[in-house]
Amino acid sequence: MNRTKKSSAIVAGILSLSLIAAACGSDEDTTTTTEAAAATTTAAAADESTTTAAAAETTVAGGVETTAAPTESSTAMSADTGEAVDYAALQGDLVSSGATFPKAFYDEAIATLSEEAPDLVIEYGGGGSGKGRSDLQEKVVDFAGTDSTVKEEDFAKFTGGEFVYVPTVLAPITISYNMAGIDELQLTPATIAAIFQLEITNWSDPLIAADNPDATLPDEAIVVARRADGSGTTDNFSKFLNAAVGPDTTGEWLLGTGSELEWPEGTQAGDGNSGVAQIISSTEGAIGYVDLSDANANGFKFAAVQNKAGNFVLPTLDATTAAAEGVEVKDDLTFFVGWADGDEAYPIAAQTWIIAYTTQDDPAKAENIRGFLTYLLTEGQELAPSIDFAPLPDELREMAMANIAKIGA
Amino acid sequence: MTTSTPSLSELTPTGPRQVQVSDLAGVGGRRRAKNAVMTALMGMSVAVILVVLILVLWTVVSKGWSIVVGMFPDWFTEDIQLSPRRPGPGMKAAIVGTIITTAMASAIAIPLGIAGAVYLNEYGKRGLFARILRFFTSVMAGVPSIVMGLFIYVFWVVPRGIDGLNGFSGALALACLMLPIIVRSTEEMLKLVPQNLRDASFALGATGSRTTLGIVIPNASPGIISGCLLAIARAAGETAPLIFTIGAAKQTNWNVFDGTNTSLSLQIYANAKESFATAQERAWGAALTLIVLAVLFTAAARILSARISKQS
Amino acid sequence: MTLTLSDLRTKKQVGDRVFRYSTLVGGAVILIVLALIAYTISSKSSLIFRTEGLDFFTERRWAPSADKPVFGALSFIYGTAITALIAVLLAVPVSLGLALFTTQVAPKWLKKPLVTLTDTVAVVPSVVFGLWGIIYLAPRLVGFFKNLSGWFDGIPVLSSIFGTVSAGRSFLTAGLILAVMITPIITSLAREVIETCPQTDRDGALALGATRWEMITGAVMPHSVGGIVGAVMLGLGRAMGETIAAALVIGSSPTITANIFSSGDSLPSVIAFQWGEATSDEKRSALIAMGLTLFVLTLIVNFAATAVVTRAMKRMQGAS
Repeated sequence: MNRTKKSSAIVAGILSLSLIAAACGSDEDTTTTTEAAAATTTAAAADESTTTAAAAETTVAGGVETTAAPTESSTAMSADTGEAVDYAALQGDLVSSGATFPKAFYDEAIATLSEEAPDLVIEYGGGGSGKGRSDLQEKVVDFAGTDSTVKEEDFAKFTGGEFVYVPTVLAPITISYNMAGIDELQLTPATIAAIFQLEITNWSDPLIAADNPDATLPDEAIVVARRADGSGTTDNFSKFLNAAVGPDTTGEWLLGTGSELEWPEGTQAGDGNSGVAQIISSTEGAIGYVDLSDANANGFKFAAVQNKAGNFVLPTLDATTAAAEGVEVKDDLTFFVGWADGDEAYPIAAQTWIIAYTTQDDPAKAENIRGFLTYLLTEGQELAPSIDFAPLPDELREMAMANIAKIGA
Repeated sequence: MTTSTPSLSELTPTGPRQVQVSDLAGVGGRRRAKNAVMTALMGMSVAVILVVLILVLWTVVSKGWSIVVGMFPDWFTEDIQLSPRRPGPGMKAAIVGTIITTAMASAIAIPLGIAGAVYLNEYGKRGLFARILRFFTSVMAGVPSIVMGLFIYVFWVVPRGIDGLNGFSGALALACLMLPIIVRSTEEMLKLVPQNLRDASFALGATGSRTTLGIVIPNASPGIISGCLLAIARAAGETAPLIFTIGAAKQTNWNVFDGTNTSLSLQIYANAKESFATAQERAWGAALTLIVLAVLFTAAARILSARISKQS
Repeated sequence: MTLTLSDLRTKKQVGDRVFRYSTLVGGAVILIVLALIAYTISSKSSLIFRTEGLDFFTERRWAPSADKPVFGALSFIYGTAITALIAVLLAVPVSLGLALFTTQVAPKWLKKPLVTLTDTVAVVPSVVFGLWGIIYLAPRLVGFFKNLSGWFDGIPVLSSIFGTVSAGRSFLTAGLILAVMITPIITSLAREVIETCPQTDRDGALALGATRWEMITGAVMPHSVGGIVGAVMLGLGRAMGETIAAALVIGSSPTITANIFSSGDSLPSVIAFQWGEATSDEKRSALIAMGLTLFVLTLIVNFAATAVVTRAMKRMQGAS
């Protein structure tokens, strides 16, 4: 019995130790202590290109209308092109995650930037807009990519405080499909809604036929491919459908909007844009929404979608830029480029941002972030079309540069 | 059980291995036929497994060969391609990542595991605490690997913020997976050491620690090492515990404590979801590398344990 | 060397004590870690139980981003159960056949290679099976599935089980991959159990004129049934907890349906895929709760398995 007492004492001791350790270790609310943000200005400002803040109400040809004057803190007010960033001098690591929609663009930009800035290592992990936002909330990443805006009620979750949106690129969301025998496809928003809600399940359905009077459609089952993860692409796609045929108009789209929808049972889900692309490429009869870059890289066929003006438009870069003309941009640089006005506009154009905190503890890191984002908005914009992304219109680009200056300012 | 045991009237004087004419006729023939069919079915199950295994290995080897061996040193020396569309080899980061996380996990789990097994077999034996420990070791062995990863993420990574994603966190998760395996296999090996060796040592005046360290463990060491190698092979192939804990690096990072990392298993997982042939090719190459690694460790373990059974 | 009293109280004893307690600590680490796991997982999942209570387990909808988010684990529990069931149904005949063949039919020189064959399947990491499944197997199975589905057209119950095929990623595909993965476990354990069958029993049956198959069913199986059931349950436990291989091929689309060709989702795969974006505390808590559910389920199965095996072993030791 002596032994049993001893054993019990040991067990009790260990269990209590572990409880104590657990209490200390899993303390969710401990934020990493932020060192006092010291002199934030100085060296940082000197190195990067100063930005222009567009004056209110000016519309340059093909530019973007702004609804309000730009915000105060952007100090530099001068020339268009400021001093160039010295990329070669940038060194350090940047960790990021988020939207897979622009991932091909960021991957390429990182790869080409690494040639100019070999000491700067940037990691963009993808994972979906949802992951990016939550990673940034926890400060597990330095910045995040997101195709959809943060909800008001989530602002408080961002433990690093205030953050800015930097729009980086535009691209069309294609409705790609894999069906032998259909070389060209036209779809109205109503038909798209019906397909993705599994109301029509066969390629030869009358609704599809109505959109394609000249085509012979095969009698094959439709396999719907959609996103499994929280996705800004889903968000933008659903916003388009909601704007076009949602409850406020014809009421055909019932799944609402959001990065995750409650899809009906029977759809196939993929992880990331690439996951959806994989489903489409390996499944006969599949249809899904994928960014243009992935669609082209896989050689997909995609549909011409009817836009607000009634024209069937293919997802080209020009059509995307056309969609961005005349779009309303809010102060914080959020905007929605889908279901846009314009004869040539592609209705499912989409935008994407990088979000980063304005308060940065480490000035060198802030400089790296600004350097990367500046690259995206300068040389990156030239790089974009080669991988099927559309550059931002000039006005928007300049406003984005202004926001970059706020990071670590 | 469908046939009853043969009745007296069906008995033949000789055993079933000798075929007699009477065996082939009537009921005997039916029984023979059944035996043959069943034997064939059993043989088929062997064939099924063989075919599947060969198919898997063949696919991995044939699809991974050109990128691993065909471009010889590049696979091991180049870092991972920055964009999944870009063709070309390079898994150095993942190979290094697998090595350092597994090594770190082993460094944590092996000493603790052996210590625990020593306690169980040499000291605790049938005592209450030892029985509790054995029980919970089985429990821990059954924890799904994703729950381990979840646990380490919530408990260890999150409080550390961005610094929490590194090789060490991944190693912690792997160590949790390895620990019960090592405890169990080591205990089995220690059990095999003949008691008279210990008795002799005690009789000579050695203490428990001397006996254990000097006699028992060395005697059991081939078996212990074999068990550890198997645990290492298992850990090297794990994916789920690492998903949440080591990040997604593409550059090689030898520092297990600082900075994100990756592993062969994670790279396979990530590339398996890509539609680009270039990415998929890298997945097959990584799979080939991982299998070779696992096979090497397992083979070493088998050779060691074969040597033990030769001795005993 | 004779013992003297002075030998008994020396540094040796202290060192010995230290050693003994350090081994205890080594073992105790397991308890600590387990306690931590239990504590962390339970406390983090408590949020969702406070919000939804036990409805969490019976709710079919999984809508984390809806205006009023609903977190229902039922589809995932269903997926885990179905794939594990399919895996066991497919694996048991093959594993048993393999074990029986190795122990009863194979000539001596073949036994070792067969054991190696089985063990080699166990060496292949799970993620490699997943890769093979999603890229190689799933696309090729679609045609086969469609044929299979066609055979059962019109037959009442079976046509809903073998229903419409949409793509290669389905419950059945996941079950297939899992079956391959758990075969080595079941086989090696079954082999061990079968080998404990006393030679006398077997010889006796043969001497009575039984064919080999009759000997197996008459002498070996009754002896080993308990252990084999235990082995199968261990395989079941492993199939339920297997994450990556199943996640890649199950389809990630939560569904409850009898159709095994449909895609679905399971507890470990949803945790793996959706964890990265726990955009709300509730969602994170829900995912952890699913981890807890999985943990408890596998625990129950593993316990039952161990109990069955231990009882069977005891009975066998008693008999021989």
